[in-house]
Amino acid sequence: MKRRSFIQNSLALGSLVGADLLLPHLAFAASPVKVGLMIPMSGPAGLFGPSSKNCGELAVAEINARGGLAGRPIELIISDAGVPPAEASQGALKLWKGQQVEAFVGMHDSAVRGALVGVFKGQVPYIYTSTYEGGECSPGTQVLAETPTQQLEPVIPWLSKERKLKNWYLIGNDYNWPRDTNAKAKQYIASAGGKVVGEEYLPFTTDNFDANLAKIKASGADAVLITLVGGASVGFNRAFASFGLADKVTRLGTLIEENTLGGIGMQNAANLYSSSGYFASIDTPAAIDFAKRYGAKFGAQAPALNALAQSVYDGFLLLEAMAKKSGSMDPKKMETAAEGIRFSSPRGDTTMHQRHGKKDIYLAKAEGNGFKVVKVFKQVDAGKNCKA
Amino acid sequence: MAYFQTAKQAASLLTLALCLVAVPFVTNDFRAYQLGTYLLYGVVAQGVALVWGRLGFLPLGQALFFGLGAYVAGLLFIHAQDNALLYLLLPLSILVPALLAYLVARLVFAGQYVSGPDFSLITLALTMLGAQLANQFTGLTGGFNGLANIPQLGDLDRYSSMYFLIVALVLFSTALLSWLYQTPLGTLWLAISQNENRLQFFGFATDKLKAGAFALSAALAGSAGFLYAAQQGLVTPQAIGFQLSAELVIWTAVGGRFGPYGALLGAVGIGLLSSDLREIWVHWEVLVALLFIAVVLYFPGGMAHLLLNAYQFINRRSGTHVPVYAVAPKTPGLRAPPLQSCGGDSGPVHLRFDNVSVQRNEVSILNGLSLAVEHAGVYCLIGPNGAGKTSSFNVLTGRLARTSGDIFLDSQRVTGHRADVMARAGVGRKFQIPSVFNGLSVTDNLRIALWSNRAQARQLLESTTRQWRTDMLDFLENTFTFLADQADKPAGELSQGQRQMLELSMTLLAEPRLLLLDEPCAGLSTAETQQQIEVIVQAVSRLGSTALVIEHDMAAVQRLSNEVFVLHQGQLLANGTLKQMQESPLVQAVYAGGQK
Amino acid sequence: MDSSTITLLLNLVYHVLVLSLVALGLGMVFGMLGVMNMAQGEFLTLGAYAMVVAQRMQIAAGWGILMAILVTATLGYLIERWLVRPLQTRPLDTLLATWGLSLLVRKGIEAVFGRQYQNITQQIGGSTQIFSVDYPSYRLALMLAIVCGLLMLCLWYKHSTAGTRLKASVANPVLAQAIGIDVKRQACMAFVCGVACTGLAGALLAPLVRVEPLMGMDYLLGSFFVLVVGGLGSLSGLFAGAGIIGSTQVLVSTMLDQTYGYLAVLTLSIGFLWLRPHGLLSNR
Repeated sequence: MKRRSFIQNSLALGSLVGADLLLPHLAFAASPVKVGLMIPMSGPAGLFGPSSKNCGELAVAEINARGGLAGRPIELIISDAGVPPAEASQGALKLWKGQQVEAFVGMHDSAVRGALVGVFKGQVPYIYTSTYEGGECSPGTQVLAETPTQQLEPVIPWLSKERKLKNWYLIGNDYNWPRDTNAKAKQYIASAGGKVVGEEYLPFTTDNFDANLAKIKASGADAVLITLVGGASVGFNRAFASFGLADKVTRLGTLIEENTLGGIGMQNAANLYSSSGYFASIDTPAAIDFAKRYGAKFGAQAPALNALAQSVYDGFLLLEAMAKKSGSMDPKKMETAAEGIRFSSPRGDTTMHQRHGKKDIYLAKAEGNGFKVVKVFKQVDAGKNCKA
Repeated sequence: MAYFQTAKQAASLLTLALCLVAVPFVTNDFRAYQLGTYLLYGVVAQGVALVWGRLGFLPLGQALFFGLGAYVAGLLFIHAQDNALLYLLLPLSILVPALLAYLVARLVFAGQYVSGPDFSLITLALTMLGAQLANQFTGLTGGFNGLANIPQLGDLDRYSSMYFLIVALVLFSTALLSWLYQTPLGTLWLAISQNENRLQFFGFATDKLKAGAFALSAALAGSAGFLYAAQQGLVTPQAIGFQLSAELVIWTAVGGRFGPYGALLGAVGIGLLSSDLREIWVHWEVLVALLFIAVVLYFPGGMAHLLLNAYQFINRRSGTHVPVYAVAPKTPGLRAPPLQSCGGDSGPVHLRFDNVSVQRNEVSILNGLSLAVEHAGVYCLIGPNGAGKTSSFNVLTGRLARTSGDIFLDSQRVTGHRADVMARAGVGRKFQIPSVFNGLSVTDNLRIALWSNRAQARQLLESTTRQWRTDMLDFLENTFTFLADQADKPAGELSQGQRQMLELSMTLLAEPRLLLLDEPCAGLSTAETQQQIEVIVQAVSRLGSTALVIEHDMAAVQRLSNEVFVLHQGQLLANGTLKQMQESPLVQAVYAGGQK
Repeated sequence: MDSSTITLLLNLVYHVLVLSLVALGLGMVFGMLGVMNMAQGEFLTLGAYAMVVAQRMQIAAGWGILMAILVTATLGYLIERWLVRPLQTRPLDTLLATWGLSLLVRKGIEAVFGRQYQNITQQIGGSTQIFSVDYPSYRLALMLAIVCGLLMLCLWYKHSTAGTRLKASVANPVLAQAIGIDVKRQACMAFVCGVACTGLAGALLAPLVRVEPLMGMDYLLGSFFVLVVGGLGSLSGLFAGAGIIGSTQVLVSTMLDQTYGYLAVLTLSIGFLWLRPHGLLSNR
C-alpha cells in the first residue's frame, strides 16, 4: 500500500478515535449529584433492562421531589452491565472518572460485581441489589441483594412442613451462585429433617433437560430446589410439567420472577413456589401504592414489575437514607453511615447490618394468573457474610 | 537490508505511532485506558486479518488464543507474587496459544488442498469448548466470576503507563505484519488464498505454511491476552468465548481484512464506538449489522479499502478493485541460486507405472496401467476421452488415490505421495485448464515458480529474492514477450491463451526433471500453438528433462515427440512412434469406435 | 425392560427426531446448496413467534403453523434473491452477510414482541401411556408427525421428478442448466423450502421450549454439528448425524451429567470435523 494512503488510513483512524474520545468533554453543571445505574440492557439478562430502568427513573423522580441526596438533585446516568465484565467495568470507569459520578447502584451478575469492586476499590459508594450468593464484603459496597440464607433458612423448614417434603433434588446452572446456594440449602434441609437425593449443575448451554427429569423421577424426590437462571429455568420448568412431575413434586426457586413465570406458563406452574424479597402481587399498602405510581408514570403497557427491577428502586432509597444520615456524598462518611440504617420501601422495612439488608422475605406460589404470596417471613437476617 | 520495502511503510508506522502516543495527552488517561483495551482487541483482529484476508481461511474462534494467553498470564502474575521464578514462564502465554494453533492447523490441513468450512467450524467448536472449560474449572480459572486480582505488570500503572506498553505491542505487530506481507512469504500467503492447489505443485507444503501463519496469529492473540490480563486485572470466560470471536470477525470485516491497519481500524472504530454510542442510541447494533452486511456485499475490503478507493478517486488515479499489493521496483536482476536437488539424481528421470488401478464404485478409472519412461525427451500421451490420461497424472501427483499397483520414480516408490512432495522430487505439472494465481501480477506468478525448489526459508523473508532471474526466465521472456510487457497485470486479466503460456512458463521455470503437460495448447490459435510447441521442445532439451504431454492434436504430437503412448480404458494400449501407432489396427479400431 | 430404560429410549428417539427436524432446513440450505446461513436459527424463532401471534389472535394452532411457513418462506425468498444469490461464489461472505442478517431479525423480533419470554400452550396436553410408561402426549404426536413427514420427504426425494431435478441441480449445476433445468429456480426453491422447514420446526417446538428473541442461536450451532458429523448433501447423512449427536447427548447426560454430555458432543464434532470433514455419509 502506498504511503499517503496509509497516512490517510491513520488519519481516518485517528479522527474517528479522536472524535469519539473527545465527545464526553462537554461541560456539565456541578450542582446535581450524578448517580450511575449499572443494569443489563443487553445480553441474556437484557430483558430486565427496561423494567429496571423504569424503577430507577421512578426512584430518582420521587427522591428529587423530596429534596434529593443531601439536598442535591440526582442526575441519573445508566450504563449497560449486560456486557462482559471488562466492558462493564470500563463503562463504570467512564461514568466515575469521566463524568464524575458520585455513587453507583448496580443490578447485575456477580462476575460484573467482582469487576466493579476491583475497579472502585471502595472509593465510591456502590449499592448492589440483585439476588446473589452472599459473601460480598468489599469496602464501599452495600448489598441489598437477597442471600441464600434469607431466601431459604426460614422457607425450607416451613415449606417442608407445609407440603410434607422429605427428599430434595438440587438443580442449578454451573457457577458460584447455585453452588453456594445449595451449600447453604443442604444445611437447612438437614435441620428440617429432610435429605438431599440428588444434585446437578448444568452448563449454560443446556436446553434439553430430559436426563435431569429422569434422574429426578428415579431419585424419588418430592421437592426440587431450582437455581437455574434465565432460559434454562423456563425450559426446565416447562419440560418438568409436561412429564407430569408437577403434581407429585414441589418446586422451589430463588430466582423465579414474573418474567420467568410468564415464560413457564401458568399451565406448567402447578406447585411452583418462589422465595424472594418482592413480588408484583404483594398486597401491603406500600407495595400496592408503589405499583400504582409505577403504572401512573409508565403506563399500563410498561414492562412488568419484578423483584430484580424493584430492587433498583430500593437501592436508591438506601442511597437516599445514607446520604441523609451522613449529610454528604463523601464515600467514607457514607460507609460509616450505612451501618444500622433503616428505611421503608414497597417491600417492607429494611435494616442494614454488616453491609447487608435485613428484610422481609415472601414465599409465593404460582396460582391463578401470577404469583400469590402464601407466607411472609418478617425481618430475615442476611446471615454471616462479613466479619465487621 | 532494509526491514521496510520503502520508506513509505516506515512513514505509515510513524504516523500511527504519533497518533496513538498522543492520545493520553490530547484527551485523558481514562480514554487512553479504554482505547488500550480495544487496541489489544485490534492486535487479535490483525491476526484474524492475516489468516482470513491473506491466506483465505476464516477462524471463527480466535478468542480462544486470546483468552488462553490472558488466563496463562493472569495465573502466572498472581502466583509469581509468591514465587518470582514464575515470571520466567511468562512467554508461555504466547507460546501455548501458538503451539495449540499450529497443532490444530497442521492436523486439519494435512492432505487438504482447499480450505473448507470445516476449519472454521472446528475453531468455533474449540472456542466453545474453551469457554465451557474455563467456566467449569473454577479452582484454576475462577469459573464464571473469572480470574480476579491479577496484579499489574511491575510498575506500570494500568490506568496510565500501561497504555504505552500496549501501543508498543500494536506498533510491533503492525510493523511485523506489514513487513511480512511484502516479503516473498507474503506473496506465497496470497497465493495460498487464491490457488492453494497450484502452489502445492510448486513444492510448497501449504499445510505447514498455513499452520505457521495461524500460529503467528495465535501468538499475536496470546500476547494481546498477556497485556489484557495485566491491564484489566480480571479475566473471565467471555474473553475466550464465541461472542468475542464473532465480534473480532465483524471488526476485521468492517475495518478491512486485507491489511493490519484495517483490522485496527475495525476494532477501535467499531468496538470503541459501539461501547460509547450503545449508551446514547439504542439501535446502534442495528446500524452495525447493516454496515456489516453492506461491507460484505459491496466492500469486501472494508473501511480501509473504502478510504483507499476514495483517496484514489479524489486523486484521479486508476486503481483496480483488487487490493493493491506491494509491487517491487524494477531493479537489475540477481542471479538465482541453484535448485535444491532432492535425492541427488542428475541423469534423466526414470518413471515407471506398475499395473496401477484406480476403482471408484463400479467405475475403473485406471485399469492396470503399466508404462515406463527411461530417457529424456518429450513423450506424448494420446487416447480417446476417458482413457485415463489426466487420471494418470493425478495418480502420479497424489490427487487420485490408487486402488492397486505402484509408481516408481528413479527406482523409488512414490505411490501415494502428496503433490508437494512430488513437486519437490522434481515433478512439474501444467493443468488442462490454466491454473495460475489470478490475483497476483504476472511477475509474481513467475517469481513463485522461480522460488520453487530453490528458495530456502530464510530467503523467503528477504526482498532480494524477488530479484532473482535465471536463464530460463530470460529465454521465456524473449519468446513470450507479454511476460515482460504486461508484467504488472493481474494474471486473471490475461486472455485464455496468455494464461496457458504463463502457466507453461511457470512450470518450466521450476525446472522440473519430469514435466507433466496436460493439453498445453488447448485454446490457443495456430500461431500460438506453434510457439508453445517450440518452447516446450527447446526448454525440455535445455533442461535435459523428460516431458509427458497429453495432446489431441496429431500435428502437434508429431512435432513434439517421436514416442507416443496410447491409452484406452485405463490401460496402455500400445506405444511406439507416431507412425507405428497410426498404422496399428488396434489403435485404429479404438479411435474409430470399434470394440477392443 | 424397566420404565426408566423405556423412558430413556423414548427420550433418545425424541431428541434424535427433533434434531433431524431442526437440522433438516439447514441440511437443505447448507448441505445441498452450500450456503452457510447463519440466520437459520432466526427462522426457527420466527416460526415460534408465528405461534405467539396465533395464540394472541386466539385462532387455531394450525393457522399458526401455516403462518410460520408463509412468513419464513417469504423472508427466505427475499434473502435468497438479495443476499445469497449475489454472494454465490463467496461462501465465507455468505456466512458473514447472513450473520448480520440474523442480528437484524433478532432486533426486529425484539422491537415487535419485546425481550420477555413467551408462553405457548400445548394443543395436545397431558400424557399417554405407551409401553407402560407415561410420556407427554404432545411429544408423542410430534414424534409421529416428524417420522411421517421425513418418510414422505424421503419418498418424494427418491422417486419424484422434482426430486430428481433437484438432485441434478445440486450435483452438477452446469450440466443441469445445459439440459434445461432452471438451476437458479431450483436453488431458490431449495433455499425457500429449507428455511420454511426450519420455520415449521419452530412452530412445532414452540410449546415445548423457551420462546424469546435469542432462542435461535443454540439451534443453529447444534444443526451445524449434526450436519458435519453426518455428512452434507443427503437425508441419510442428516439422520446419521442426528442419530450420533442426539444419542451421545442423551446417553452421556443421563448416565453421567449434562456437562459431560455437552463436552462429548463438542469433542465428537471436533473429531468428525477433523477426521472426516465430509461427514459419515456424504455424497461429496
